[in-house]
Amino acid sequence: MADSIEVRFAVETELLGLKLLPGQEANLRAAYAALRDAVVLVGADYSFEAEPAHVFAPAPGAERRR
Amino acid sequence: MTQSDPCFLSVTEAAALIAAKRLSPVELTRAYLDRIERLDGTLHAYVRVLPDEALAAARAAEAEIAAGRHRGPLHGIPFGLKDIYDTAGVPTEGGSKLCLGPVPAADATGARLLKQAGAILLGKLTTWEFAIGGTAFDTPFPPARNPWNPERDPAGSSSGSGAAVAAGLCAMAMGSDTGGSIRWPAAWCGLAGLKPTYGRVSRAGIMPLSFSLDHAGPLTWTVEDAAIVLQAIAGHDPRDPASADRAVPDYWAALASSDLQGVRLGVARAMFERDCPASGAMGSAFDAAVEVLRGLGAAIAEIKLPPLALYNATASLISRSEGFAIHEKTLRERPQDYGALARDRLTIGAYVRASDMVQAMRRRLILVEATEAAMTGFDAILLPTCPDPAPVLGELGPYFDNRRPMYMRPFNLTGQPALSLCNGFDDMGLPLSLQIVGRHFDEATVLRIGHAYERATPWRARRPPL
Repeated sequence: MADSIEVRFAVETELLGLKLLPGQEANLRAAYAALRDAVVLVGADYSFEAEPAHVFAPAPGAERRR
Repeated sequence: MTQSDPCFLSVTEAAALIAAKRLSPVELTRAYLDRIERLDGTLHAYVRVLPDEALAAARAAEAEIAAGRHRGPLHGIPFGLKDIYDTAGVPTEGGSKLCLGPVPAADATGARLLKQAGAILLGKLTTWEFAIGGTAFDTPFPPARNPWNPERDPAGSSSGSGAAVAAGLCAMAMGSDTGGSIRWPAAWCGLAGLKPTYGRVSRAGIMPLSFSLDHAGPLTWTVEDAAIVLQAIAGHDPRDPASADRAVPDYWAALASSDLQGVRLGVARAMFERDCPASGAMGSAFDAAVEVLRGLGAAIAEIKLPPLALYNATASLISRSEGFAIHEKTLRERPQDYGALARDRLTIGAYVRASDMVQAMRRRLILVEATEAAMTGFDAILLPTCPDPAPVLGELGPYFDNRRPMYMRPFNLTGQPALSLCNGFDDMGLPLSLQIVGRHFDEATVLRIGHAYERATPWRARRPPL
């Protein structure tokens, strides 16, 4: 848990099997740090019963979007 | 260019002249095509102009109107579509090398409805790559430029839609809005841009970016024009699983009242003073707009919403995750064919864990409920659309939203209707903007407030100095 953002980014990139193009790593690492901040802000301390938003209300027999 | 040029008529004005047979749809279409020919080499608002098809449609409209079969206020009105809207027989390329070539067999629902209303498709408009790539120079089409100053950014992702309407290169345009992409170009190009309630307008046939945050809507010169376009495109569509089966009110009728007596407006001041302070010009224009609205009879008080950063973090996790899911296959197989900005912004979604996404959707429901609770006693929320006017093209950088977050994303997350409109200009002549956010499915009130404000202020008399 004490791993730095750089180490976590590298490990996750490998686990995800992402093959980054030259120059992409630095940009993504910065975005990754912002993403982890967002995860912390959103939090994980919800009650068991806390429902997620259900944004779709498909009509019965609705066709596909495309 | 003079202010009497037909290209600078609002939809409402052109519609009245066409209905009275004092303006020919063919001549109006030709005027736009001539202006596109003259100016679009600088502005790059269009990726594809359709002169033959547009003139044929205009002739058909003219004949129909002459025969007494007038379809309504959009009959004979030229428009443009962001190039993520499918168009039957015309390529839809999404600003990407990955989509060059294939031609859709059918129109997007929005395109079909506008054509059924008699509107004339002039062409397809520049978009950020897949509506996310940012102002880029490594994609097949050059970025659109801001008509108020072509060295400036018109914003995006509906960049061509904003530039085209402001420059008088079409009477109205359609865009899409996942995190502000209708309202933002409307703000920086000095227009009205309406993101309707989630589910109000079909997204069928529009390239998706984030299923639960994508909205479709119009960019127009006036709020009244936005009401006219909304009337034509609102309604249930079984092709869009998120489409709401609800009655569509008469939006134009909602504009009849010239004052705002009885309307209660909440100013979300903490968002643009504490969470991300707006620039001086934007703040001053906002305060002046509030006084205009108060003068029209609205009751104004402060509304307390959750922090902007919490809305934005939640929306970010959802949009990144959904965007990556859509693009995963091509990102893995052809990453080199994306522009760098789109590639990075989509790839980062791979790092959102499944549980992060579910927590974000739980947070989303909490934020929706908190926003609804805060609106108790209010009909609409007021705040600027974004903190700053348009910067120099290319200055935004890849993660600008982390530094200067916009005020639009909260309402993609909640799905509420939100309108951006012009509320003045800074000392460099760049447009400033006001945002009005309503209750779910209450576009009528949002439009009423915006229209009353426009009628009470002089901003619609000014056009870009082209």
